Amino acid sequence: MDITFSPAEQQFRAECRDWLHDNVPDQRRPMDAADALDFDKAWQRRLFDAGWAGINWPTEYGGRGLSIVQQVIWLEEYANANAPWIGANFVGVNHGGPTLILNASDAQKAYHLPRILRGEAIWCQGFSEPGAGSDLAGIKTRGRIEGNELVITGSKIWTSFAHVADWQELVLRTEEGSQRHKGLSWVICPMHAPGIEVRTIRKMSGQTEFAQVFYDDVRIPLDNVVGGLCNGWKVAMSTLSFERGTGFIADQVKQSEEVEELLERARQTGALKDDRIAEQLAQLRAEVAALRAMTYRNISQVVRTGQPGAESSVIRLFTSELGQRLERMALLLAGDDILDFRYGDDNLVAEYLRGFAATIAGGTAQIQRDIIAERLLGLPKSR
Amino acid sequence: MDLTPNDEQVSFISATAKWCADNLPLDGARSRPPALWQQLEAMGWTGMTAPGMDLDHATEALVLAELGRHLAPIALLSTAVTARWAGQPGKTALALLDKDLTGGLVRVFDAPGATHALGLVGGLAAITPLPSDLGGEPGLDLTVPLAHLDPAPPFSPIGGPDAGLHLQLLAAAFAVGCADAARDMAAEYAKLREQFDRPIGWFQALKHICSDSAVRCEVARSQLYYAAGALDAGDPGAAFHIAAAKQLADQAALENARANVQVHGGIGMTDEAAPHLCLKRAHLLSFIAPVRRDILLGEAA
Repeated sequence: MDITFSPAEQQFRAECRDWLHDNVPDQRRPMDAADALDFDKAWQRRLFDAGWAGINWPTEYGGRGLSIVQQVIWLEEYANANAPWIGANFVGVNHGGPTLILNASDAQKAYHLPRILRGEAIWCQGFSEPGAGSDLAGIKTRGRIEGNELVITGSKIWTSFAHVADWQELVLRTEEGSQRHKGLSWVICPMHAPGIEVRTIRKMSGQTEFAQVFYDDVRIPLDNVVGGLCNGWKVAMSTLSFERGTGFIADQVKQSEEVEELLERARQTGALKDDRIAEQLAQLRAEVAALRAMTYRNISQVVRTGQPGAESSVIRLFTSELGQRLERMALLLAGDDILDFRYGDDNLVAEYLRGFAATIAGGTAQIQRDIIAERLLGLPKSR
Repeated sequence: MDLTPNDEQVSFISATAKWCADNLPLDGARSRPPALWQQLEAMGWTGMTAPGMDLDHATEALVLAELGRHLAPIALLSTAVTARWAGQPGKTALALLDKDLTGGLVRVFDAPGATHALGLVGGLAAITPLPSDLGGEPGLDLTVPLAHLDPAPPFSPIGGPDAGLHLQLLAAAFAVGCADAARDMAAEYAKLREQFDRPIGWFQALKHICSDSAVRCEVARSQLYYAAGALDAGDPGAAFHIAAAKQLADQAALENARANVQVHGGIGMTDEAAPHLCLKRAHLLSFIAPVRRDILLGEAA
């Protein structure tokens, strides 16, 4: 075991730092949805032009083909430099793209991957349904095969960026009468196809960036199926294992910045003299350090064996709950100022309210605990 | 950067685990054979990082986590630190001083066969010679003989600040092992014990108690690895990282031990069953090289 980085990795870190120092925009990500989309696309294009998009993606699709360690170094420096949140490019860059790399045909990859990296194509996710949340295999949205087309009927919900997306990673039932995990397919759905209706949903934070999507006989080419017809569960799970491995490194790195900011604020306001606050901040600082160590350990495992280790399912759960503890600490330090919050404010209250998603979206904390007990400890499956 | 054990370390771990499984069953921790210490010496576990041994703290932490999982003798910690910083061979007992200051009462753990005891005085490692006939009776931790010295004898410092960090790191390694043991004991019992015609581990309420134990283990173990690497690398943040490892390892050991009693139900409250051995060991470990909050907050001078 060795915590030091090689001279080549240190050199790479210096390059990241220098570029970010010169290029991170002074302007904050706008609150207005249309302005935010323009901002996100322009920033992604700038990253791509300078060679910082898709650091560990294959070079043939516009990536850099570098190691996962270099990806981590980039994300650490990105957080240190206070660079903008990836915003509307999140699903394409962190979810759809990696799924395509693992499962898509050459033609699908050649078309979509460069567009994702250049910030030209915005993606959204279509997994959850009103009746299929934690029980994702209960998906009812159907795709009927007619000639070389798929005709889609049904509805998806909790879809972030649906109103601005060009494409959707959509999991639906393509085999009539199939049950549970069988008969599902993972398809690329064009969001501008006739028959798609997007109704935005206002969150308790006041934002309207997520939506319910309705499909009324939407026709898409059968060629848009990824990884084979009725193989959708396996394709979807390949992304989940990616998420549990490296998909949340950016969040993890951000948390170490956040705890230092909270500590600094507590020092300046004198709140650190409060024993209870000092104790909690000390604990948070230890936990954030351990999260970094756990991430490094997981990355090392990927480098050594090509697979994330058993602890990767733990990282996901721990990060989400630690994020919420940090948001609550920010709230505690702010005191009764939080009562002035109004819809449209983008501050720590909005972050706290948004942050409830961390233990709900992409598998609730309870589902994560089931997975840990069953896969790590071998306890019997209750579902 | 590599935070996974290398091939050599993996073989150290598996050799240790195998030996412990054969010779150091956890449920026998109250009646270890008298010759155990000589066996531990013969296996080379009493001074792995002593001068001339050419072994790093990372390997040492890995091996001690395995030994800690079996509630191995507590003097392994103090003996390792004394061997490394005072070059002193032989068994060294562990001393806990009253509030880290000389003058008051000193508790000495694992004294039989030891010529000296090592403790922390104001955060610095220090040793004192022991009366040759000092024995002891089990206290809260039923696996360790405890004796009292009152008034405290004078202690002489060994090593620099790193010797104190070394003790904290190794105590964290023992606590990680103790947390692992409680996690595994709870999970095994949850698979075995049936109520309502099914294993109790089928129920989410029980399952999630076990998952939370697993999370605490992974968190503490990861930080232990980083902390050991930081001490090996002479990293300026080593004191913080070792303190963080100790903090999280102590919490994991205590919380997992309590969870293990709860999962066991009635039998978990008995003297006969093993869960209380982990619980009591966890309490003892939390008093060894305790964590200073100012170091965790990055405010230490």
